Amino acid sequence: MSVFMDLNLVYSPDSSRLQRLVETAAHLGYSTVAINYVYEPTAKKKQDIPAPRLIKDLIPELPIVQGRSRPIRVLNRLTVMMSDSSHFRATAAEYRGFDLLAVQPTTEKLFHAACMICDVDIICISVTEKLPFIFKRAPVNGATERGVVFEVSYAAALRDSTRRRYTIANSTALMESCRGRNVILSSAAETPLELRGPYDITNLGLLFGLTDGDSKDAVSSSCRSVVLHAESQETASGIIYTVQHPEAPPTKTTGRHR
Amino acid sequence: MSCADTKGKPALYQRVVLKNASPYHYMKVCLVLEDESTRLNAVDLKQFIISGLDSLYGEVGAALNFDLLKYDEDTLTAFLRVYSKGLVKLWSSLTLLGSYQKQACAFRVLQVSPFLLALTGNSRELQLD
Repeated sequence: MSVFMDLNLVYSPDSSRLQRLVETAAHLGYSTVAINYVYEPTAKKKQDIPAPRLIKDLIPELPIVQGRSRPIRVLNRLTVMMSDSSHFRATAAEYRGFDLLAVQPTTEKLFHAACMICDVDIICISVTEKLPFIFKRAPVNGATERGVVFEVSYAAALRDSTRRRYTIANSTALMESCRGRNVILSSAAETPLELRGPYDITNLGLLFGLTDGDSKDAVSSSCRSVVLHAESQETASGIIYTVQHPEAPPTKTTGRHR
Repeated sequence: MSCADTKGKPALYQRVVLKNASPYHYMKVCLVLEDESTRLNAVDLKQFIISGLDSLYGEVGAALNFDLLKYDEDTLTAFLRVYSKGLVKLWSSLTLLGSYQKQACAFRVLQVSPFLLALTGNSRELQLD
């Protein structure tokens, strides 16, 4: 059986809050979580891409996952809000520090580019506004073939009823065009009380238009495949070269070479 | 078939296969509130769950039959019984309940089973050390 993952916990500079979030996720039974840094470039002001903070500094002691006696795995993830094609630069050195790379396109053209061209792992679907375009079959199929997944996050649905409506409407529109495959459900939680357990999310997936099996895949095996996809992007086309040091503790040295 | 009235006869074996034997599903849920000093009684809890059903599924959803079998006010843990047909509706409305009287809250669904006996133990919380 595949383990449960939640690939979107919103980053906040307050490390105690982040620590409580990770602890709650471990308690609910998630084996892997990703801390999400959002980068929103605007035309007027030049902004820096956020640099990921080391997990060791952020959370000194990783909590044990409920049900299995092993600490939770924490990844770093960057989400680029893409409102112009120049916002996503394919070979930016800043992207290398992150384990996962996601984009959120806002127009149909950018959605097509994100599906077919961009070297990303996750395409976020907006859940806070009415869908600005319709999902065409061709880019969705192209993304499926490349191993890119679509993400629907549910925390906005807990906050107020309007956004709940948009979440359900946009996700059912997505499920119609991708037929339930290559979809992940994640939390986008800012506080521990916005997190829900993996089985709750499996049940919630039925509401979003997924079938029973696809819904469980959306929190487990699809997430696993996107993490593996990201790992293969990180190395040179999936060739992994490791050096074993007998006494030194293992440190991660590889970055994104795209 | 009782064995007492079959005196002298050889023992009979009967094999019965039941499919979907239980019409109900039972849930063990725990309410987590932001302000832990808030108390709510069984009536408040049921009212709160119905309001959640109402906001997600409307009046038709609020008419869903479910029962609050047992409720512990100290730990805010409750046992719910619902017809299997309404399980998805009840569960999703519990999942999407985000606030109780303007404070953040969350329902933690601890166990779900078609048999009440199964809720007596929990293999996940076994303390082995």
